[in-house]
Parts: sequence; structure tokens; C-alpha cells
Amino acid sequence: MPFRNFILFSNIQSFEIALGIVPPSENQGLAEKLILPLVAKGDEAAMKRCIDSYGPLVWSIVCRRINERVDAEEACQEIFTEVWRIAGRFDSKVSKESTFIGMIARRRSIDWQRKQNRLPALANLDSLPELSTPSTNNLHSIDRSELWNILNELPSDTLNLFSLHFEKGLTHDEIARQTKLPIGTVKTKLRRGLIEARKLLKEFNNGEGVAQ
Amino acid sequence: MSMDETLARFEELDAGRVLGDLTSEETSEWQILVTDMEDVHSIELELLATELELKHVQPCDLSSSLSNKIADTIPAFSNKNINQPATQIISILPWLGWAAAACLLVFFNLPTGDDIQNVSAELTQAKTELSDKEKTIIELESAKQELAKLNEKLSSELLTESGKIDALNNQIAKLTEKLPLLQKFESLIQDESDTQRLEFASASDPYAGLSGEVIWNDEKQEGYMSLENLAVNDPTKNQYQLWIVDPERDELPVDGGVFNITQKDGKSIIPIRNALVINKPVAFVITLEQPGGVVKSKQEIVVALAKS
Repeated sequence: MPFRNFILFSNIQSFEIALGIVPPSENQGLAEKLILPLVAKGDEAAMKRCIDSYGPLVWSIVCRRINERVDAEEACQEIFTEVWRIAGRFDSKVSKESTFIGMIARRRSIDWQRKQNRLPALANLDSLPELSTPSTNNLHSIDRSELWNILNELPSDTLNLFSLHFEKGLTHDEIARQTKLPIGTVKTKLRRGLIEARKLLKEFNNGEGVAQ
Repeated sequence: MSMDETLARFEELDAGRVLGDLTSEETSEWQILVTDMEDVHSIELELLATELELKHVQPCDLSSSLSNKIADTIPAFSNKNINQPATQIISILPWLGWAAAACLLVFFNLPTGDDIQNVSAELTQAKTELSDKEKTIIELESAKQELAKLNEKLSSELLTESGKIDALNNQIAKLTEKLPLLQKFESLIQDESDTQRLEFASASDPYAGLSGEVIWNDEKQEGYMSLENLAVNDPTKNQYQLWIVDPERDELPVDGGVFNITQKDGKSIIPIRNALVINKPVAFVITLEQPGGVVKSKQEIVVALAKS
């Protein structure tokens, strides 16, 4: 049984979130009180709050890709170690805290999957561009629902692939089986769709000046 | 490939990296291209992909055991516990089940990911050490065989050299034995002016190569033979015997003693052991006789003759 289906609800709030009664964004609102700058200063209590606040988010991202509980727990530990290590690179002008931590969780989980498939790990965060590089897309100030609305201009088949990949968390192989598209086509459409999405977002920001 | 094409290729690979679908070859290609794309490379795609995913992620709480485990992983938390307010005792009751499960896990010492990784690392290290030790054993076995061969060769050479040393020792012993006789021989010639000196000549064909001389001093009743190229005799079958012809004393030759030739090469010095006093010898005759010699020779085998 895939572990991603094994979701534990330890309190009412997360139970409500899981049922969609309370939107995740509201919960994120509580967490977005910039804990990372304190973590970057070595504030242990802040780190504990960070684990409490973002642990559920990280755990969910990990469980979308890693089925074995032991592996998922280990990946979770690695992710928070990474957060502790590079918290100083977070810039609230570039992204939300949840996006920053989510990005680390996502990358670590992908690397874990690649390791299982004997593929080389992708570049670590240290070798990538400065995280504080100003983004032209203002992702930090765009609501996630609004983002998906902007992307509605993408071709319908690309949106369908986005939905299967980002929403339902299917792998490329699973998408290829479900859509009956060749795996190469799925890869190419997802890659080019992501590049196109970035372009649309840039056009949206330039055209409408949202949240400048 | 033009700059635009390179940029397009890099962006596609970077999108693949963000989506986690790069093959090994594409990963290598991305690593090469990224060094030239530092100016245009950003994390926008990665942040965008994360935003798209987070929209649909439904957070679910961590178990307290995992939460604690994560806290323990962070270096600053490893030695400290975060104080929990007393009012939270009731709220942690639902976690007691998890705590009990965690205790059971500890009790049964079930391996965690860290344990497995540690054991795996230890296993790898042990395999490496084993492999190294096997190589060392093979090398030692090879060295042992080389040593055995060397030992065998040296033993053989030692045996040969020992044989040579024995032969040299024998030669030295013989020379040492011969030395006093040689000194006496030389002394009798040099110190005594009236010493008689006669050359031997072979007396029959089997001894044609024989050469040598005999010296005799009447006053001292002392004399020696110096013989070369005389055949080695087998003392159990026959012995050489010297006869001294002294007409003034007797018509019959006087026994000068029996002797053996023990070496083929070199000069043999034989002292004369005259049984009777010799007055004026005129000839010396060597015959081959039965072991122990004879009182009166039939002179059936005359070996050599020296006469004045």
C-alpha cells in the first residue's frame, strides 16, 4: 500500500484542512511569520517552531514521492537539516517561507527517488544561483489559486498534464499510462509547459502590475 | 548550435531538472551548460513548480516521534530539550500511543534509516577491508613462493659451495700435510751440499708420462722422492715400493718403503723409509707390489728408475 495514502490526522485543524474545510492558505498564513530569519540566527526555539509549522507540509511533499515510511522519515530529517543549514539564504522578497521550504523538500524527495532509480543526484542548493536573486515573477505575492488561474491560458493538454503531475502527484510513467502518450512526449510537454508557464506569469506581472 | 538554441536547450534541461526527469546523460549535459549560463540561470522555474505543487498539497501532521527525531538531527537541538508547558499534558495524551509504539520500536531495536545506512556503510567498509586483506594474503602467498624458490636455489648453491669448500679444505689439508715434507725436501737440497739428486725415468709404457726426482743424503740417512703424473693406486690391491740399489752394502736392493699415490695432479713428496743403512746408493727403483710390499721384489712391474 503506497504510504502517500496513509495520512494521519493528529488534530482537528489538519483534519479540516485535509477535508478542505479550512483552506491550506489560511493555515499557511499562520506559518508565514518569517521564522527562517530567526532560524538563520541559530534560534533553537524558532527552529522548533519551524518544524512544528512546516513539518506537516514537508511530510506531505515527501509522502507524495516516497512510499516507505522509514525512507520518508529519513528524508524528512535531511530536509530540516538542510533548512537549518541554509535558512540564511531565504529572502522574503523572492518567495514565501512555505515555498522556500517546499522547494527544499521537493528537491530532496526527487533526489531520493532518483537515488532509488540509480540516477545521478541533481545539483544541490549550494551550487545553484543565489536564492536571493530578485525574481521578475513576484511569486511571493501571488496567491496559489490565482497562479493557476493565470496558467489557464496554457494549452488544455498541457494543463491536463500539469494537473496530473502537480495536483495528483503522478509520475511521468503513470501519466504516460493514463494518457496513453509516449513517455518522451509527457516529459517534453511538461518541461516546455513549465517554461511557458513562467513566460505567462512574467507577462501577467508586466501587463497588470499585480502586487508590484 | 547558436546562442539562442543553446539557451533553449539549457532551459529545457533546467525544466527537466526541476521536474526531476533528467536522464544521466541529460544531467551531465546540464552540468556542462550551467557553467556558461550563470547570468541567465535562476530559480524561477523551481519556485514556480513548487508553487504549483503546494497548491494541491494537504499538510498532515508529523508524529511526535518523528518531530523529536528531526529536532535531534538539528545540531543545536541534539543536547537540549524544549520545555513543554504543564498545561499541555492533556493535549499530549493522544500521543502516548505513539510514544508507546516508539518505545516498542526501541525495545525491539528495529533498524531505522540511519541504522540501515550505518550498517550499510560498515558493511561496505568491511567488504573493502576484506578485499584488501585478500589482496595482502595473495601477495604474501606469492612472496612465500618466491622465498621458497629463493631458499631452494640458495640451498643448492650453498651445497655446491660447501662441496667446493670441502674440496678446498681437503686440498689445504693435503698441502698442509705436504708442506713439512716440501720444507724438508728443500732444506735437504739447500742445506746439505752432499745430497745426491737423481731424476726418475719411467721404466715401462704404462708410466711413460711419469717425471720426478729422488734426493738422498748419506750422512743424514734421509731422502725424499718428488713424483708427478704417477697413477693413483688402490692400496687394497697394490702399493708402490721403493728399492735402493747399494752395491757396496749388498747385491740385493734395499727396501726403501711402500707408499701410495693419492692424487693424480700435482707433485707428491714421498719420504724414503730405508729399512737398513745405505752407504752409497747408485740407483733407486720403484716397483708395483702387493699391499704391504714384499721383502724381495720379483720386479714384475717396474715403474720408474733413477740412477747415477
